[in-house]
Amino acid sequence: MGRLKTYLWRYWRRYLVGGICLLGTATLVMWIPWWIRDAVRIIENGGSLRDVRFYAAVIGAAALIQGVVRTFSRALIFNAGRDVEYDLRNDLFAHLQKLPLSFYHTQRTGDLMSRVINDISAVRVMLGPGILNFVNAPVYFVYAVVLMLSMDVRMTLAALVPFPLLIFAVAKFRGRILKSSLEVQQQMSALSSHVQENLSGMHVVKAYTQEAFQTRQFIALNEDFQAKSLELARMRGIITPVMQGFNALTVLIVLWYGGVRVIRGDLLVADIVAFVAYLNVLAWPTAAFGWMLSLVERGRAAMKRLEEILKTEPEIASPEKPLPVRGLKQGIEFRDVSFVYGRQNNGHPTLEGINFSLPVGRSVGLVGRIGSGKSTVAQLVPRLFDVSSGEILMDGQDIRKFSLRELRRTLGYVPQDPFLFSTSLRRNLAFGRDEVSDEELARAVGIAKLDRDLEIFPRGMDTIVGERGVTLSGGQKQRATLARALVMDPPVLILDDCLSSVDAQTEAEILQGLREILKEKTCLIISHRISAVKEADEILVLDEGKIIERGTHEELVNRGGVYADLYQQQQLSEELEQI
Amino acid sequence: MAEPSQQEEILGKAYDIRLIRRLWKFIVPYKRLFWMAMLLLPLQQAFGLAQPYLMKIGIDQYIAGRDLKGLQNVGLLFLGVVVGETVTLFFHYYFSMLVAQRCLADLRVAVFSHVQKLPMSYFDRNPVGRLVTRMTTDVDVLQEMFSSGVMTLISDFVMVFWIIGIMFYLHVELALVSLALIPPMAVAINFFRVRARRTYRQIRERIARINAYLAEAISGMGVIQLFAREEKSYREFDKLNSDHREAYHLSNLYEASLYSMVEAAGSVSVALLLWYGGGEVLHAVIGIGTLVAFKEYINRFFVPLRDFSQKYAVMQSAMSSAERIFQLLDTPVTIESPKNALIPKPFRGEVVFDNVWFHYKPDDPVLKGVSFRIEPGEKVAVVGATGAGKTTTIKLLNRFYDIQKGSIKVSGVDVREWDLQALRQHIGVVLQDVFLFSGDVRANLALGDRSVSMDRIEKAAQFANADRFIQWLPGTFDAQVRERGSNFSAGQRQLLSLARVLVFQPEILVMDEATSSVDTETELLIQDALDKVMKGRTCLVIAHRLSTIRNADRIIVLHHGEVREMGSHAELMERRGIYYRLYQLQYEREELKVATYDAAAKIHD
Repeated sequence: MGRLKTYLWRYWRRYLVGGICLLGTATLVMWIPWWIRDAVRIIENGGSLRDVRFYAAVIGAAALIQGVVRTFSRALIFNAGRDVEYDLRNDLFAHLQKLPLSFYHTQRTGDLMSRVINDISAVRVMLGPGILNFVNAPVYFVYAVVLMLSMDVRMTLAALVPFPLLIFAVAKFRGRILKSSLEVQQQMSALSSHVQENLSGMHVVKAYTQEAFQTRQFIALNEDFQAKSLELARMRGIITPVMQGFNALTVLIVLWYGGVRVIRGDLLVADIVAFVAYLNVLAWPTAAFGWMLSLVERGRAAMKRLEEILKTEPEIASPEKPLPVRGLKQGIEFRDVSFVYGRQNNGHPTLEGINFSLPVGRSVGLVGRIGSGKSTVAQLVPRLFDVSSGEILMDGQDIRKFSLRELRRTLGYVPQDPFLFSTSLRRNLAFGRDEVSDEELARAVGIAKLDRDLEIFPRGMDTIVGERGVTLSGGQKQRATLARALVMDPPVLILDDCLSSVDAQTEAEILQGLREILKEKTCLIISHRISAVKEADEILVLDEGKIIERGTHEELVNRGGVYADLYQQQQLSEELEQI
Repeated sequence: MAEPSQQEEILGKAYDIRLIRRLWKFIVPYKRLFWMAMLLLPLQQAFGLAQPYLMKIGIDQYIAGRDLKGLQNVGLLFLGVVVGETVTLFFHYYFSMLVAQRCLADLRVAVFSHVQKLPMSYFDRNPVGRLVTRMTTDVDVLQEMFSSGVMTLISDFVMVFWIIGIMFYLHVELALVSLALIPPMAVAINFFRVRARRTYRQIRERIARINAYLAEAISGMGVIQLFAREEKSYREFDKLNSDHREAYHLSNLYEASLYSMVEAAGSVSVALLLWYGGGEVLHAVIGIGTLVAFKEYINRFFVPLRDFSQKYAVMQSAMSSAERIFQLLDTPVTIESPKNALIPKPFRGEVVFDNVWFHYKPDDPVLKGVSFRIEPGEKVAVVGATGAGKTTTIKLLNRFYDIQKGSIKVSGVDVREWDLQALRQHIGVVLQDVFLFSGDVRANLALGDRSVSMDRIEKAAQFANADRFIQWLPGTFDAQVRERGSNFSAGQRQLLSLARVLVFQPEILVMDEATSSVDTETELLIQDALDKVMKGRTCLVIAHRLSTIRNADRIIVLHHGEVREMGSHAELMERRGIYYRLYQLQYEREELKVATYDAAAKIHD
């Protein structure tokens, strides 16, 4: 909870002023019944109308001032809650950006999202309405009880008789409601898991005609959910009327007991009026008491879950004193690099003893079967993952000595899985830069052979892409991501099988265009197609995480090993395509 | 990033008669409960409104009149009214929730069972997450509509008129004085209410943007980090976040004003009453109790007005949720059994593709006039390069999609004339990526058919060589299967799916052989199980194993959506056409492995 305190401190002025306004409101609220009593007393004793009107004026003025002060107290405290929410959300976002990809591999987007959304809102409620009522309730109680006692001790005690019972009942109910709402939540998530699973396995459901059975299962879960929800509704349904009932009961006690004493002559009607007014004032804080406690409880639990995310240290971070990056002078070198990915593969290394160098201005090709570890090699350079042993050097220095930002800005990494944001194509292509001229965009688009597609797009560069926009084909997306990297114009290009969905003809054209700019760039090309790496200065063949062959295209073909085999296979399938 | 889309628009009209009528259909089965809840409402309000009146009588008549007996009676009446209000309030709330829960549960089931009927093409287009949202979040929003008391909107207004009536009955002049407060209050409340509504709208839009941005940033985090654009996207996020905060600051101010005004109105009215009524009380025209009662009534008068804008916002989002749910319910079921569905008997099991044309997207045909015939009991392997249309062929057989031209006949009847259920029950499907449901092993083998005996399940598992690993599982057939079967190896999942076929004993087996590599021993078990499963069945297999094509009676070579070659392995090899090349490309390499397996098998025997 230490973090929460720092947030609260940041807005202490708001809370302080809000708190003062709250006390001011409470004071005015509490004195109004007192003045009503004075006025009614005058009436009861047959005093002058002027005196009554004096009190009426005082009450009216107090009510108006109270209205203003109350507005400020609520607005200030609720706003402070929103401010903390804002900070918390920003900090969380900033922190999420620092966490490495391995974190996102273990978390599902949906889970993460619902945590961020629901938990932040629970914390905000705790810090807004929660704090407000937390301050209000005791203040009102102390105030009201002191004033009532000063009017009449016996009446006060009589009126307060139901309160301990009420608080006890509320406390008891609160626990049950909390438990019950947890159960409802669990049942809800069971229900949505079932739906999720049913939809993901729809082909099996249909193939085995399981629709009816799946629906029966859903109905059963749905009924459980309904039963749990009704239980919660029943308890929630009891608490409000009971609260109101209790309150009316205290009024009744005052009316009855007070009435008897008025008739006996040792109390004034004015006192009854004032007592009723005080009890009315107490009605809301009493009712809100249990609610407020549950807000605090929920808020604390939510904050704890948020802390879990915030406390996750980014495993991959910039060093404290990063070395400056001054372009690329010598090149990149893998020195005895091994990589073990989590606990997958039973601890078998994904990469083992990888050695190669990529001198500036040259290109290295990397081929191998699916699962041979070639993408991992690419991902290690921008430090999406860190090596398990060995080191990767840039200009003779371990890449971990540079700042992440500068390292990554040196590298143009084009991933296999194209991810575009749901915004215009233009903004997607310009993602890596703050300002891009149309000429630069056109050049990148030309090399990535996206120009022909642009003509078909309804709004050209301003076409909205991504999940909800025009659906681009897999090949179009891959070419867009390539163009995006080209726009950034980095000294190093890493192409991670980034043209796998592009047809062979277009790929050849793209490679032709790339060759022009590759002359001035350092390039690591990963592909399952020989045609993409053929012209590289050195080609590495990867198998089960090890380099098994290396050399130029001619050398490898002549050697008659795995590479030659792959080459032959691809020629065959090309032939097949032509038939 | 994150442009708000039409589909997920959260705001609409607060009241749409068409939607309400459709929602009403779900309430109809519980309309007695519904009307009971509705009828309890005026009763509850009457009990509530009686309390200040009784207070007035108690004070003015009996306390002032020093009538202990009368006070006692009024007290008892008051107690009765309190109990009455408590009880009616509870039952009103409980009955409304009962109606809400029941009809929303029905709605959920309606959506779920409708979704079960939708064709596969629908699931290709719509992400799972969105459909889950329809059945959970959107239905929840409707529940909020019930529980936040939107149903009481009308009666709230009725109550306002009741209060005015009572006040006039009590004292005309005081009623006028009190009502004098109403116009300025109404104007002021309206002032804030309209603005509050506008900010609600903004807030909902802005929070939706924040969430959309966040979701996208999380899934695109790799790109953000690779391009080192953390600062830029942080700035963008901060902008959205602070816009949201700003809207809320405004909204908080409006709400605080509304709340405070209504609170103050009670006290101001007391001041007014004392000012004007004080004299009358002094001259004993009315009693103090009347003043007390008036104060109470004025309090009760403003609360519904205050809550209106919140209820309006709830109503708005409920309507758009309802709209989306009904949209899903209106999605046409394009693939279903025809009216006079046929179930041919006896089932012979031959399969005929006759000039079948099929495309997922217009202008991009996947199958172009495919024709072939498979005799009952024949084993046919389908081979071809990636994208040749192999998987599509097997998906068409059990009518996951409907073809555009030609016909597919099973047992002499076009699949579109078949009873869909019966058709699919005759065809067993084993797909590459075996999908297991969370639950236990037994449930995954019997797939929820409770009539399947344990004996049959065990025999099937034994026959499919799955019993060997099942018996080592904790709880054997009761062992838990995690989501998507992640606690089973690829080989184990394949064996389980073969056992699944054996439990159901379909006459036709359609299979897409898995390409994932498994260890030698498991591979042997799978091959053995495959042989047993295929025996005596009409089989259509997308072959990846050398043994499968060798054992097939016939091989169909699909190339660019057309059947280019057909015949036995030996015949096709001789032809030196596409198959010959495919064989070199895909299967030759396996020969080496097969040799090893054969050797291993010998040792095993």
